[in-house]
Amino acid sequence: MTSAPIYNTDFSSLKDMDTVADATRRMLADRVSDLPVVDAAGKLVGMFRLERLFAVLLPKAATMDYGMPDLAFMSDTVEQLKRRMREIEHSPVREFMTEPGHVVHPRTSPMEIVLLLYKGANAVPVVTEDGGLLVGMVAARDVLGALQSEGAR
Amino acid sequence: MHAAAGHESAMIFGLSPMWVATLLFVAVYAIIMTDKVNRAIIALVGAGLAILSGVMTQHEAMGAVDFNTLGLLLGMMLIVNVTRRSGLFQYVAIWATKKVDARPWGILLMMSIVTAVFSAFLDNVTTVLLTVPVTLLITEELRVKPYPYLFAQIFASNIGGTATLIGDPPNIMIGSATGLTFNDFGIALTPIIVVIMVATFVPLYYVWGRHLRAADEDRRRVMGFNEREAITDPRLLKQSLTVIALVIAGFMLQRQIGIEPATIAVFGAAVLLLLDNFGKEPEEQAKNVHAALSEAEWITLMFFLGLFVLVFGIQKAGLIDMMAEVLLKATGGDFNVTALAILWASAVLSAFIDNIPFVATMIPLIKAMAPTFGGDAALLPLWWALSLGACLGGNGTLIGASANLVVAGLAERAGTSFRFVEYLKVAFPLMLISIALSHVYLVFRYL
Repeated sequence: MTSAPIYNTDFSSLKDMDTVADATRRMLADRVSDLPVVDAAGKLVGMFRLERLFAVLLPKAATMDYGMPDLAFMSDTVEQLKRRMREIEHSPVREFMTEPGHVVHPRTSPMEIVLLLYKGANAVPVVTEDGGLLVGMVAARDVLGALQSEGAR
Repeated sequence: MHAAAGHESAMIFGLSPMWVATLLFVAVYAIIMTDKVNRAIIALVGAGLAILSGVMTQHEAMGAVDFNTLGLLLGMMLIVNVTRRSGLFQYVAIWATKKVDARPWGILLMMSIVTAVFSAFLDNVTTVLLTVPVTLLITEELRVKPYPYLFAQIFASNIGGTATLIGDPPNIMIGSATGLTFNDFGIALTPIIVVIMVATFVPLYYVWGRHLRAADEDRRRVMGFNEREAITDPRLLKQSLTVIALVIAGFMLQRQIGIEPATIAVFGAAVLLLLDNFGKEPEEQAKNVHAALSEAEWITLMFFLGLFVLVFGIQKAGLIDMMAEVLLKATGGDFNVTALAILWASAVLSAFIDNIPFVATMIPLIKAMAPTFGGDAALLPLWWALSLGACLGGNGTLIGASANLVVAGLAERAGTSFRFVEYLKVAFPLMLISIALSHVYLVFRYL
């Protein structure tokens, strides 16, 4: 058996000018919580993470170090949260994206990829060694798929 | 070296003990001011060197440590660490905000009063760590600038802390060194503290208060907060409030029951830990107790430990007596001039340097003046001058007190910057007003 790539080359990504609304639509359609953001040349420039989006919806006092331990006393309804969401949905994703963090290359060993996922990464971008072009994504489900035996399929 | 450690030695490294102790003391204070080495480390290294170089014996060093101050600080830290988990502080802050219909200036006043009252009974740093996040949340919801609120809270924490024996470390040290009780402090200082609070907030209204506006809709959202939901552990809340009430009652009855504040505070902490952990699994108990103990501010406690030893070094070497003589000569031996000089000098110095080492040095210095002024009892006004100057002086600059830096740090995390000069411009004059009021108060009541 040849060593088939463990990562997924058929993945969703965002352009840095896409809006938050574009990003959330894509997240829901593709059932992913982390999306890579690329520039016009296809180079990885950041990650748009659901976690970061939730942080924007929350008061700063709750997400900072030594902040509020809980918010049970706030009586905001879903409608009010929606209003907060509406305030940011036309902003470009680059305002909310985070550093790419860990990236891997097409030649990175499967063991290293499993280690990154074990350490808590949701999805890891795969970029070319020269130029940092985004060529794939690897998430836990990709690894699981690659590891399944013929019989289990 | 062995000879030096065991006996009184005339010379150390060719220097007299007076010189060694003084050089160590000056070097440690200079390093503390540079902020290059953590203050606990440098104080302990200095204390260790004082013993190793033979300035004092190990036995003397142990005797120099004021365990009453350390115990009182530790006991109160532990009580707060357990109590904070109940949600009490958030509850009170939200309740106070709603009492003023979420009006921006009203909230500024209420949050400041809450901060001042908590600071009077708890450590100032702990108080602002608990109340500032609530302020940041409310100001964000109201879309008002948090700066005036945080500025006011810094002042409130330092002013409130001055009011009682347990409110601020200088008072704890003074109380322990002189035997002045919780009630003595309350009776002497609380009246002027109330006046200073009022006098501070009048200018703040004109500088910021009258410009604060919030939209009705945002105010309604804040009024929609349910403070009862902030209480995360009602059982712990009742236990904490009971223990705090008993500890404060113990402080008030200190003279009648003849027990030192450190014993009362540490015993209170132990009882609260017992109540909180009663019936829990051993692992959970270990986790709870470990959390409460490790969250105590060990840096402050170890800093005190080292300082007590260092100050004893210069006291034993005779430097303190010499400094007292110089100060008395400068004031012409006039009691009133001495008291007011202590007030103003403490205030201006405490605005720029840590007031803990300053007060630790001033206490033996003032005690050395007792013979000149007719005994220990006559020194009373000098203690109040030192307390008012050292505690209130901390308001003068952003680096004047630890609580100031903690507030600035929290604000920074939430996106509001505190700049040294910008703070100084309003804070220093306000601090001078509080010292001028203290001056008048001391003259009328004690001099």
